[in-house]
Amino acid sequence: MQGTHGGGVGPGLSPVDRRTLLVCSFILAAALGQMNFTGDQVLRVLAKNEKELSLLKELEGLKPQKVDFWRGPARPSLPVDMRVPFSELTDVKAYLGSHGLAYSIMIKDVQVLLDEEREAMAKSRRLERSTNSFSYSSYHTLEEIYSWIDNFVTEHSDIVSKIRIGHSFENRSILVLKFSTGGSQRGAIWIDTGIHSREWITHATGIWTAKKIVSEYGKDRSLTNILNAMDIFMEIVTNPDGFAFTHSMNRLWRKNKSTRPGSFCIGVDLNRNWKSGFGGNGSNNNPCSETYRGPSPQSEPEVAAIVDFITAHGNIKALISIHSYSQMLMYPYGHSLEPVSNQKELSKLAKDAVRALSEVHGIQYIYGSISTTLYVASGITVDWAYDNGIKYSFSFELRDTGHYGFLLPASQIIPTAQETWMAIRTIMEHTQNHPY
Amino acid sequence: MQPRRPPPPAPGPPRPAAPLLALPLLLLAVQGAAAPTGPEAAEWRPDTGPPHGLLRQAARAALHFLNFRAGSPSALRVLAAVQEGRARINAKKECTVDLVFTTEHYNSEEGEERLGKCSARVFFRNQKPRPAVNVTCARLMEKTKRQQEDYRLYKQMKQLRNPLDGVSIPDSHGHIDPSLRPVWELAFLGSSYVMWEKTTRFLHYYMAQLSGVKQWETNDGAIDFDYTVLLHEFSTQEIIPCRIHLVWSPGKPLTVKYHCQELLAPEDASGTEEGSAVAPTELSNF
Repeated sequence: MQGTHGGGVGPGLSPVDRRTLLVCSFILAAALGQMNFTGDQVLRVLAKNEKELSLLKELEGLKPQKVDFWRGPARPSLPVDMRVPFSELTDVKAYLGSHGLAYSIMIKDVQVLLDEEREAMAKSRRLERSTNSFSYSSYHTLEEIYSWIDNFVTEHSDIVSKIRIGHSFENRSILVLKFSTGGSQRGAIWIDTGIHSREWITHATGIWTAKKIVSEYGKDRSLTNILNAMDIFMEIVTNPDGFAFTHSMNRLWRKNKSTRPGSFCIGVDLNRNWKSGFGGNGSNNNPCSETYRGPSPQSEPEVAAIVDFITAHGNIKALISIHSYSQMLMYPYGHSLEPVSNQKELSKLAKDAVRALSEVHGIQYIYGSISTTLYVASGITVDWAYDNGIKYSFSFELRDTGHYGFLLPASQIIPTAQETWMAIRTIMEHTQNHPY
Repeated sequence: MQPRRPPPPAPGPPRPAAPLLALPLLLLAVQGAAAPTGPEAAEWRPDTGPPHGLLRQAARAALHFLNFRAGSPSALRVLAAVQEGRARINAKKECTVDLVFTTEHYNSEEGEERLGKCSARVFFRNQKPRPAVNVTCARLMEKTKRQQEDYRLYKQMKQLRNPLDGVSIPDSHGHIDPSLRPVWELAFLGSSYVMWEKTTRFLHYYMAQLSGVKQWETNDGAIDFDYTVLLHEFSTQEIIPCRIHLVWSPGKPLTVKYHCQELLAPEDASGTEEGSAVAPTELSNF
């Protein structure tokens, strides 16, 4: 069914996670009880048969305790990891040697490792206190992004505020950043990234763009004019449950994490769950499908939250929904081949935006309506937005065109964000200059 | 059509054109594919042209096929741009596409701009996979250089120890360790066969990630390579795990066996697709 990426060891903790957990608990113990592990080693022994396994179990039973099993003797052919205190090293190694038990040294000095880990954790905590030292050219976890959001809002509280528009299926907060220089219920531009969780370049682009907006206000004439007249809303992690899952279990997860009785498959494609052309050919009725539309339009809390917010706001003038990959800039419709009424205007705007984009790093984008450029897709965000009066509704597919696909190297984050910004800016300018 | 990279700035020496050598056509007798028969029922009008998507689809199919048949992990190509094309559909909804497109190196370095030109005829049977491909390309790399690069890659692979188990290439952050690049390229070569076989008029594939690599010894020194690849099918957005076993030696034909999980297994069914192939003896003048 779902392709899970290699590396994990089935259900339960992988060896690395387990080790980290144990190391962390040691740090806690060390901090609380001032335990010292200097010179202690972690040995890995592979017991080849039951006899060797029972020799190891005997070690376990010795009093006073000579070893501390991190991974205890269970079956032959499974590695056994044991922490051996410095004082016992000679004895234990002699024991292993005399019984022909081969071992390797996994950790040469536990205390050194603990010190390094503690230092690394402290360092990243220090870094997190400022968004200037947050790395915009790396991918981040959900916690790191939410922490960045708080710092960002604090640092730029004159322009930015945070709104919680709802919560996800697994009860995570859904957050939107509001950029505003005042006014009340001004015409606004909506930007969302990360509706498909595996498209990591989109969240990264959103974060960089947020920083760009506050940096350019007062410097770039175009952006300053836009923000003096309009507000910008940005939802960076549109699918927080899916995103957390791409970090913990499956890097290529696309949907949200909702469940329903009668199926063991999880998740709805959030970009097929909108109330426009819902249920058409460009979506799937099978809960196991990557394009499963969900039981009904807006059934998913992540979608409903946006619908409620935008509807209540009532004055959104442009909507930009960002995906990857393919290098395309598109406008409605996805569910039909019929052109929208202002197709000519949207086509020209897309053309201008794509040209502005390509001038940054030479990257070429294709543009057109979704159904004619990408594929027929039903129940999508931009179709809903357009049908609800948001004339300037666009969908991006960012880099690349398949070489790395979803696994776009972090080194391409900033170039991608830089070029995408020029296209977004073009769309925002046009929106501001064509009030309706 | 849009070139993949911008042309060089106006003043300056002209870019050396990739010579379109008069190479004999790569003959591709693909089993089971019949030439279109019957009157061609529909042809796109010259002014509108076939849907752009169809031309790109044909280009991708042609490239997967080309890469596999060339059997050279250091000479893999990707699509740069489609330049022109026409298509015909017959009454049986079989589709013939003729097109010209440019390619570049899969592993192109910064600033490298060799654009090898290709022309191809691709025949899609209605909804069925294994499109018939006839493709000719201008040479992108000198033959001796290609052989050297293949041999260098071969040696790099031989030096790799087997703790590749559990390693994902690229990792979650898109990073590929330089020592593992040969693995990625060889895997892409093998996957090209699989992706060509599975391509239909509407389905197309990319190699998303590689995991579970095992390298075995062979008596004659060939690289015997067992891996799992996650293919991304674009129109359904599905991720298809495929187990691939390939045997490769520089200058020798590539053999590929594979076993993919069925696209979107329904909840109570299971299925696998299997295929295998041997590339023909290397064409000496490719």
